[in-house]
Amino acid sequence: MRQWISVAKEALNQISTVARFLCLLHVTDKYLCSPTLAYGPSMLPTLNLTGDVILSEQVSYRLGRVGPGDIVLVRSPTDPLKIVTKRILGLEGDRVTFYDPLSGDICRTVVVPKGHVWIQGDNIYASNDSRYFGPVPYGLIQGKAFFRVWPPDSFGRLGP
Amino acid sequence: MGLRNSLNLLKSFAKEGFDISLAVGKFFCCLHVVNSYLVTPALTSGPSMLPTLNLTPTIVLAERLSPRFNKLSPGDVVLVRSPEVPRKIVTKRVIGVEGDRIAYVVDPQNGDQSETIVVPKGHIWIQGDNIYNSYDSRNFGAVPYGLLEAKIFWKIWPPKDFGSLG
Repeated sequence: MRQWISVAKEALNQISTVARFLCLLHVTDKYLCSPTLAYGPSMLPTLNLTGDVILSEQVSYRLGRVGPGDIVLVRSPTDPLKIVTKRILGLEGDRVTFYDPLSGDICRTVVVPKGHVWIQGDNIYASNDSRYFGPVPYGLIQGKAFFRVWPPDSFGRLGP
Repeated sequence: MGLRNSLNLLKSFAKEGFDISLAVGKFFCCLHVVNSYLVTPALTSGPSMLPTLNLTPTIVLAERLSPRFNKLSPGDVVLVRSPEVPRKIVTKRVIGVEGDRIAYVVDPQNGDQSETIVVPKGHIWIQGDNIYNSYDSRNFGAVPYGLLEAKIFWKIWPPKDFGSLG
């Protein structure tokens, strides 16, 4: 009986250590820096088609310090379970010029409304972005990508 | 000898202080987890949800599970991050989810002209109960589902309002 109690105690100790480690990992992931797998053609040539592991930090957007040229992770306004990677082209009040794919590629200029950002993929020929679903509210931004860790031959900073 | 004694005393004080800080830290950690993933209190004020919620500041409890598991339906009172001021969280009622056809009065104080709109995919339509004094989806359009924060289910202050939203 006593043996069982000591085994249970030891197991509980180990479990609590693992739980605390996972807790720390989760806090770092959510509030500091987190890795993401970004795949798809919409950010070529910056990000690969077959998937890059990028690091994104969660501090800048909370301080309001993301701006045009930054690559950001945004919760998709059309599919709330999906997070997309795009580049910010304009903040609220900015005038953004683009070729509108929904009306024959005519050149259009919009003013980004208050509280919103305009996001576009680097590969405008294969990107579902603000040219289709309009400017997105700033509150949907989840992080700013700043570093790529995989594949190893493109290890390094991502930047404007 | 006196020096070693005081050093030991200092060490035991430091250890006790450290233990207490650790316990307090763990408590706040737990509180933060509950706040972010389970239930959170919130302070609401303003006239846009009369008569459901008072004009004066009211403390409510809101749960974070329903928006995460997509269990919101028309009629729920929710906390939503404002699409125009990202740091502000507003309280409104869900009127329609994606695909619903909403008919709303554009400006109730100036006549009865109404418009109909279909809520786009991935969005919801929110309105305040007090349509005469509410800045909501009739002004800024349907909001993406990703801006939903929590669903209000209980009022706890002032005491005469204690109870469910009704």
